[in-house]
Amino acid sequence: MKTIKRAFRMHRIFVIQELKRMMEYKGDFIVGIIGFLLGQFFNLLFIWIIFSQIPNLVGWTLEQIVFIYGFSLIPKGLDHLLFDNLWGIGHFIVRKGDFDKYLTRPINPLFHVMVEKLQIDALGELIMGIALICIVLPSLVIEWSFIKIVMILIVIPFATLIYTGIKIATAAIAFWTKRSGNITYMFYMVNDFSKYPINIYNNFVKTIITYIIPFAFTAFYPAYYILTGENPLFNIGVTVLIAIVIMSIGIFIWNRGIKAYESAGS
Amino acid sequence: MIYAEHLKKEFKKVIKEPGLKGSIKALFKPKKEIVTAVDDINFHVSKGEILGFIGPNGAGKSTVIKMLTGILTPTSGECRINGQIPQNNRQKYVKEIGVVFGQRTQLWWDLPLTETYNVLKEIYEVSDENFKKRMAFLNEVLELEGFIKSPVRTLSLGQRMRADIAASLLHSPKVLFLDEPTIGLDVVVKDNIRNAIMEINKEEQTTVILTTHDISDIELLCKRIVMIDKGKNVFDGDLHELKSKYGQIRELHFETTTKDISNVLAYKEHFNFIDDDISVNVDGNLVNVRFNSSVVPVSEMLKYTLQKIDINDISVKDADIEEIVRRLYKQGV
Repeated sequence: MKTIKRAFRMHRIFVIQELKRMMEYKGDFIVGIIGFLLGQFFNLLFIWIIFSQIPNLVGWTLEQIVFIYGFSLIPKGLDHLLFDNLWGIGHFIVRKGDFDKYLTRPINPLFHVMVEKLQIDALGELIMGIALICIVLPSLVIEWSFIKIVMILIVIPFATLIYTGIKIATAAIAFWTKRSGNITYMFYMVNDFSKYPINIYNNFVKTIITYIIPFAFTAFYPAYYILTGENPLFNIGVTVLIAIVIMSIGIFIWNRGIKAYESAGS
Repeated sequence: MIYAEHLKKEFKKVIKEPGLKGSIKALFKPKKEIVTAVDDINFHVSKGEILGFIGPNGAGKSTVIKMLTGILTPTSGECRINGQIPQNNRQKYVKEIGVVFGQRTQLWWDLPLTETYNVLKEIYEVSDENFKKRMAFLNEVLELEGFIKSPVRTLSLGQRMRADIAASLLHSPKVLFLDEPTIGLDVVVKDNIRNAIMEINKEEQTTVILTTHDISDIELLCKRIVMIDKGKNVFDGDLHELKSKYGQIRELHFETTTKDISNVLAYKEHFNFIDDDISVNVDGNLVNVRFNSSVVPVSEMLKYTLQKIDINDISVKDADIEEIVRRLYKQGV
């Protein structure tokens, strides 16, 4: 309990530090916000144009597709917003020996790396995801229940952890290879498949995004449950299970990696 | 306090032939070689001691420091600091140590210096009261006031180094590891940093391990030194011992009116010196002779010199540590 409290406190402190850092360069900060809002607006417009050309897809209505797409952006955006610094591990933190710093501080290095930076751009994904859901929600027939809402609240953090776990596992490869950013990128890009209903794909893609790089559990399966209320054991339960398994694998590789870390000459 | 026993660290290295072709070849058929950076290092440091840890570039100093601070895991052997093995419970262990790598910084680059200290206070869970006291103390010994409100990116190297040392001391560590804390600094800042290290060592009995290439750091701060070369222990003892063991080098300085002295004075032939044991430098009528006094005693040298030429002024100097270290680095032991 004490550790969790401390983790939240440290997280808050790092986030505040990061916000201060961004505001240190005011011009850049303001232009960044304007650019970001513009970008989101055009993104939304673009997606709407594309979706309105597809009235339905293998039995899915436009609204349902948009809902799944919107839902997929939430776990992705959360992970992107909070834990984006993991990319740095595979790109330069290990290669340049900057990881030393995390090892000489009395907080868990993985936690430290994860929460040190805040990726504000990701708010765009979150806003867009929520906006898309809000737009189609009135025209969708969804049965709401207390249990369903609880399920949604549970599944979102776990779906986020699927992303985070995959990033941890692939970033940690850098402890041996010095650089693994492209491996992370390769895995990460598979997530594009998860934004659409899974039955539009052939079996090969289906198998990959369900069992191998299980991004389908970050979006399609939970969204499917929300839309239909069917099979919560699989759609929600397995999502949670997969998140736990992937995080465990990630942390296992990470901890092994720290032992293999070689720093850099100085 | 600090024990290093049979410390060994090996790195795997991929051998590449030069050029793009070599790189492509290494990509498919990597040739691996094991490089032993640190090989059976042993030493021990008592509480409150300042240990100078020296050796030429690439000797393995930083690798040893990184094993002692828990950053690297030794291939074999063990180090214990205050009864703890760094790698076993790293998070608990690092609360008791402070680390400064002169070539890196742990300060928040874009923010005013105070912000770094405020976050470190939280990271190390320093109480408000202790933090205040500590900052006042560090302000005093490291003179931070002048730039504590400036963003770190605007600090000079000297200011940054002082700020980094303060950052490493915020939580009152029992052991302080300084890896080249005076690198690239001017004389005044060096003095300031040395005084700060001495003061902290005196006030709080902080054990300090210091690596440096500046021999004055060693002469001013350390009673004891450990020298390593190519990953192996070369010397372990106090400065005095180093001088008496390797310091038979003396210097003879004199001013002469005799012309063309290199023909008149033939030390090498007369005393049968070998190459490394003697060197003569002539600059106008000033002459500087450096020789090994274990081969020929100082009195003999003086007698011979005075017999051969007219001397205005003469002095004999002890070898300084720098000279000894230079010789040791050059030839090994």
